[in-house]
Amino acid sequence: MSPRQAVALNALALYAISAVLLLAFYWQLAYDELPCPLCLLQRVAFVALAVGPILTIRHGPSPHHLGLVVIAAVLGAVISSRQVLLHILPGDPGYGSTLLGLHFYSWAFLAFAGALIAAGIMLVFFPLKVGEGKPPATGLIEHAAVWLVMGLVALNALSVLLECGFSACPANPVQYQLLEG
Amino acid sequence: MEFFIAFINFGLALWLAWRGGPRPAVLVFFVGLAYSLALYLRHATDALPLSF
Repeated sequence: MSPRQAVALNALALYAISAVLLLAFYWQLAYDELPCPLCLLQRVAFVALAVGPILTIRHGPSPHHLGLVVIAAVLGAVISSRQVLLHILPGDPGYGSTLLGLHFYSWAFLAFAGALIAAGIMLVFFPLKVGEGKPPATGLIEHAAVWLVMGLVALNALSVLLECGFSACPANPVQYQLLEG
Repeated sequence: MEFFIAFINFGLALWLAWRGGPRPAVLVFFVGLAYSLALYLRHATDALPLSF
């Protein structure tokens, strides 16, 4: 895989992460479903997942960047699987609404597992030697992907500040603490 | 506030990955990872260390 193709693939990964964060935001605002602490941690793990692709776009492909993706994906998979297990007993309605029959934390687990598999495939079938990666030329599509993710991180930081205020986040949030005074 | 710090931490890691060098970005990434693990222990259950 050429560095140019690797950069394009990583930009695609950033758009996928942005799509996940945008969908979560849409559900939060449109259906007034405030994210729980574990839901917020899964969003944090999705943001952590973006560090590797941005490093690849900026500094060229490297197995080190895929290592960061693996670590972030394991973190996210641990958090989302914990939430799946919390609601796995028969009769438990789960937390929040569903999308195509699965709760969002189940989708999150599948997404993190997919990121792990994708990183594994990249490392096995498209190996890169350390130092081979050079900063490739990037265009508008790659820059837009990076700034989209960064903008969504800023919006998430603002949203969680409104939701939790300056104290610890409640386990089942029902209102924006900072807006309620 | 605790999750605000987590988002700002990884936001800084993204910024450093884009504008700074890989080394500071990776350093901030691992700081965020440790902080997120602490948050996980805090919120995953009430029977783990850091839970209250």
